[in-house]
Amino acid sequence: MPQTRAVQARILRVAILLVFGVIAGNLLVMQVVKHEQYESQSLENRQLRTRIQAPRGRILDRDGRLLADNVYIADITVPNRCLGQAGPDSTLEKLLTWLRLPRYETLDRLAGEQSAGRPRLTLVANAAMPQIAVIEERRRELPGVKVETRSRRRYLDGPLFGHVIGYVGETLPNEIGKGDDPDGYKPGDWIGRGGLEAVLEEHLRGQAGYTLQEVNAVGRVVGRREVELRPVRPGRDVVLTLSKALQDSLGAAMGDNIGCAVALSLPSGEVLAAVSIPCYDPNMFTSGISTKDWQALQSDPGHPFLNRLIQATYPPGSPYKIVTSLTALQLGIAAPGTAYAPCGGAYQLGNRSFRCWKRGGHGALDHTGALVHSCDVFYYQLGLRLSIDQLAVTARLLGLGATTGSPFKGESSGNVPDKAWYDRKFGARGWSRGVMLNNAIGQGELLVTPLQMAVLTGRVATGLADLRPTFVRDPAPASSPGLRALPIDAAHLDWVRRTMRQVVDAGTGTRARVQSIEVAGKTGTSENPHGEDHAWFVCFAPAILPEVAVVVILENGGHGGAVAAPVAGRWLSAYFTQQESPEVVAP
Amino acid sequence: MKLTWPRNPGEGAWMIPAAYAGLCLFSLATLWSVTEGIHGPYEIMDPGVPKSIFWRQVVWVAIGWGVLLTVRNLPLPWVEQGTPFFYLFCVLLLAVVLVAAPVVQGARRWFDLGPMRLQPSEPAKIAVILVLARLLAAFHTQQKRLLPVGMSLLLAGLPLLLVLREPDLGTSLVFAAIWIVTVFWFGLSWVLLLSLASPLLSAVFSFYAETVAGSPWPWGIYLVVLLVALTRARFRLHVSLALMAANIVTGLIMTFFWEGLKIYQQERILTFFDPARDQLGSGYQAIQSKVAIGSGGLFGTSYLQGTQKGLAFLPERHTDFIFSVVGEELGFIGAMLLVGLYLVIILRGLQIALEARRPFSSLLAIGVVTYFTFHVVVNICITTGLLPVTGLPLPVMSYGGSNMLTSAILLGLLTNVGSRSFET
Repeated sequence: MPQTRAVQARILRVAILLVFGVIAGNLLVMQVVKHEQYESQSLENRQLRTRIQAPRGRILDRDGRLLADNVYIADITVPNRCLGQAGPDSTLEKLLTWLRLPRYETLDRLAGEQSAGRPRLTLVANAAMPQIAVIEERRRELPGVKVETRSRRRYLDGPLFGHVIGYVGETLPNEIGKGDDPDGYKPGDWIGRGGLEAVLEEHLRGQAGYTLQEVNAVGRVVGRREVELRPVRPGRDVVLTLSKALQDSLGAAMGDNIGCAVALSLPSGEVLAAVSIPCYDPNMFTSGISTKDWQALQSDPGHPFLNRLIQATYPPGSPYKIVTSLTALQLGIAAPGTAYAPCGGAYQLGNRSFRCWKRGGHGALDHTGALVHSCDVFYYQLGLRLSIDQLAVTARLLGLGATTGSPFKGESSGNVPDKAWYDRKFGARGWSRGVMLNNAIGQGELLVTPLQMAVLTGRVATGLADLRPTFVRDPAPASSPGLRALPIDAAHLDWVRRTMRQVVDAGTGTRARVQSIEVAGKTGTSENPHGEDHAWFVCFAPAILPEVAVVVILENGGHGGAVAAPVAGRWLSAYFTQQESPEVVAP
Repeated sequence: MKLTWPRNPGEGAWMIPAAYAGLCLFSLATLWSVTEGIHGPYEIMDPGVPKSIFWRQVVWVAIGWGVLLTVRNLPLPWVEQGTPFFYLFCVLLLAVVLVAAPVVQGARRWFDLGPMRLQPSEPAKIAVILVLARLLAAFHTQQKRLLPVGMSLLLAGLPLLLVLREPDLGTSLVFAAIWIVTVFWFGLSWVLLLSLASPLLSAVFSFYAETVAGSPWPWGIYLVVLLVALTRARFRLHVSLALMAANIVTGLIMTFFWEGLKIYQQERILTFFDPARDQLGSGYQAIQSKVAIGSGGLFGTSYLQGTQKGLAFLPERHTDFIFSVVGEELGFIGAMLLVGLYLVIILRGLQIALEARRPFSSLLAIGVVTYFTFHVVVNICITTGLLPVTGLPLPVMSYGGSNMLTSAILLGLLTNVGSRSFET
């Protein structure tokens, strides 16, 4: 037996040494070969890297009044996995009961968020103090539930500045990681979605910061030190050229009419006020708009997302007669005193009859009288003496047919047709000089945006060739326009301005009159093949040394002199009242 | 490899007490660190494990030395005579604990005796070692081996089943290991042992094929290897056929058993085998333990500086996972030193078993060696992620009276045998 014992002992000894060899080898691999991998895992284990969202820059009006800022709200959030756990004792069930949340609605919403792949679900957005108190009191029973504060955009004037300022929304999955920031957008970050919020995204956004904290196994912060890995760089403020008070006045003057109005400061071209009605309330998007509300906005017949100022195009109508007159004067084809066949209510060209807006006719009028009373028959005859390219040159000098250089996305350039355009559209023989009749009175294929009309009005009022609308004072525009004069004789411009003054004094625009201020304007009623005519009114004031240019268009409003001129008048009287006794604003 | 071990009587008598002393110091040093929390730039108020744990262990070390020295000098015949009574007492305790003990985390394992807990499975390990030694020693001269082996299987199997019922899988496997090595030492052919164990292996391969591999190939390959082995083993035909059939049946039963389980039951078992499946459940321990040991590196984060330990990422860091703390703070060098101390006890124990004059002493010694080998290997494999997590302490090192007393008694018995190897 001692013989076999020795053999058995040898077997056991070899087996033992083999097993301990495996243990030693495994330790060697873990502690020496893969040491760095485990060490970094150990670091990750105990270090909590916190990202601190940069506060988005505020948006201020030209006088420093607040238009958009950030408010800090508390969200009650639960881990993603909470949704899968059923049973009356589950964390989610407790929360539904204690916070008195509508059961199915809440679960539906959470399921939606979960399918979007969020690590944490927002149970209650913008929680009220009593709700937060419930969570804090019962923290022990609610593992994983957090009260997280975050910033939310607040638009103090709601829809009033909607199209100008735009709005922000939460980043979409396809935007995560993009952007100039070294680590890009993260879920839950805000991103500008429309208006200046989108255009000035990089200026407003700032850069998120990071801190490191030591935590223990249950995630409690234990280290004394908080290491700042990268400081937060707050977003920079934006100062608009718009004035809150003047915007208020313009909104009030417009009322509920669908349309658009804009006021430019002269000669700078700074936009003082700009409204496009109807408009969404940008605050709806910052709290997560419901599907129902979104669909309602989408299907609204007034198209609240359309920024009429730059995206909608209309025939310019009678205000375009300014372009026709200036062309004729500059080319020496007609003088202020030129008169043609008197207006009998219509003009016969070939076998077609072109009507004047005044059925009974204007009778005998010279050039000046025709502009004051907006006589179509006079302009038909004048138009026939001009070429389409001659008209187009003047129109373009005054800012039509091209984008105004506004910062917004999706600005339309409108349409100023010329010979080449008609040839392209109808073929070289497919059109006749008859188009001149329509073009002369601002109808036909001409299309302009309200902002282009404001530029036209401003250029006529100041004689400046490079006047452009600006919306933002800070950050300052890349280049400031020069003071180059329009290549049109000052005398002709002066005649137009004087005639526009008569329009308001005694012509079609009398309803834009303002006490003690001379206003120069031009009414328009542009024919709309789809319905009621659009009502135009363009003006500037004071007539001598103008300070502001105003353009109003009311869709389907009817006659410009009757509905659009009063809007401009109301705003102008508010403007000049404020100029006399400006409100004192705290800086 | 040629290891020179002391040949002269009494020459190596100091080795086991010295290793035991080393382990006691190691344990106290590690527990001091664990109860200190964390030093350096990141200080926290609450280390999680109170200082009193360290002072209690100081007391247990003192008691352990007293017990070791006492048992070392007991006359072995007394021990042999008392064995049946001790065994019966332990089995009785195991039965009572199943009925009377409080349910803690779904298991009944110990009685609360005020200052300490009595975990009957600990003395039962000693009892099984003793009772197997006594039974098999009585038959050592006879040619018939199957009868005593069968009886020993019953004697070891009874406490094994009682412990499995608690349930405590880890501890019940200790009984199985002690039985297998003891009957092997008794003289049972290892070919036969492997043959008997083969249905169990078949179940393991079948399970592996079902859950991890997702195809029956691993099990199929195992069966082919078994077939080849059986043809080489020159068993009688009907024995070979019976073994083959048993293997196939257990494999199939495993498959049907698995398919019959509920998803959450399957999930629980899978987590047992693959801790990473459930990072915050039991898998959490295994992962954190690996991170702690791996981050220790060659020289460790230095004594008292382990952050995984200090920030409470390591659960059970004063008991079952104490090896992770050693690995983190003292690194590969420290861990190997600790492993070396155990190896001294184990290899010296094997030598004592080999040199023992009387069969009872020899079988007793081999049982003690098995106890230490199994506990140390399985515990370290658990902390390094080689085996699924199951509660098994590291002898002497892990905090706890039962652990210290069992180790002290067993080492006392081992040195007792060693000190008499020159007696007839």
